[in-house]
Amino acid sequence: MSTATETHRSVARPPEFEDTHESIRILGFWIFLTTDVVLFGSLFSVYAVFRNRVALGPTPHQLFSMGPVLAETLILLTSTFTCSLSLYAARSNRLKGAVAWLTVTLLLGASFVFLEIREFAGDVMAGHTWHQSAFLSGFFTLVGTHGSHVTIGIAWAIMLVLQLMSGGLTVTNRRKLYTFTLYWHFLDIVWIFLFTVVYLLGIA
Amino acid sequence: MDNQQQLPPPGPTGHGDEVEVRILTPHIAQPHFPTMQVTGYGLSLAITLIAFAMVAYHWIGLDTLVTVLVVMAFIQGALQLGIFMHLREAKGTLWHLPVLALALFIGIGIVGFSMWIMLFKSGVS
Repeated sequence: MSTATETHRSVARPPEFEDTHESIRILGFWIFLTTDVVLFGSLFSVYAVFRNRVALGPTPHQLFSMGPVLAETLILLTSTFTCSLSLYAARSNRLKGAVAWLTVTLLLGASFVFLEIREFAGDVMAGHTWHQSAFLSGFFTLVGTHGSHVTIGIAWAIMLVLQLMSGGLTVTNRRKLYTFTLYWHFLDIVWIFLFTVVYLLGIA
Repeated sequence: MDNQQQLPPPGPTGHGDEVEVRILTPHIAQPHFPTMQVTGYGLSLAITLIAFAMVAYHWIGLDTLVTVLVVMAFIQGALQLGIFMHLREAKGTLWHLPVLALALFIGIGIVGFSMWIMLFKSGVS
């Protein structure tokens, strides 16, 4: 640590925000996340309202089992952890670390989507489709919207890995990685509410 | 090839980035070990496992359980925001907080008021 001003400069602003244009893009991404909050908020309300309208179909208690949900939750939690490690490596100027942790993140995301598709397929095979009741419509729309967000996130992460490998830790790539981590952590927050409201309260 | 970043002059610029709120004191130093991340991961794992255990082993009654689980979800969500979404670095990026507040306002507004009005005296849920 050379001087006090040096330290002060380093805490003035996170590194991804030093460039004005990139910083505005991050703000834009926060505004996108706000619109996503509106989307998920609406779907959560619909689910909450129609939760008990099961018609002749299964109740949440009959439909859900704890094992797969616990696995999905642990996978997604671990993936947000590895995602934050990727940004940590990038901030330490370790390109290989950033790429490696990002790859782990997208593999964990893919296994999450795989488990969810398997769960959906099992429900549909058993005849519990979204046609059966208002509860099932709400359930498939809410959980499916989250799952498709994760799928898009995986595609994004693959492109980001390619960009990092070809371009290195440029100012632009650092910002892209930062917005990706925001997106991924946001999806984890949605899942926290999802497994609590849909699955745990359904099983309880 | 690392592009050269344009650093602003050191110190507060006088354009609204002087924050005196204690909890918003920035914490951007890059430690040698990602302590924050590991702590956040450990805490969210613990909260998640406790939540699942409460449902699996029926530790408390159903009425209290709903409240406790939702509160735990909010705590874990706040943890994610604070630790992983860099809210502790907020000093340089204070202009993000109104957007976040807007998201919370709209989100809680939509969910809270929809449920209130749709389930009003309906006897379900």
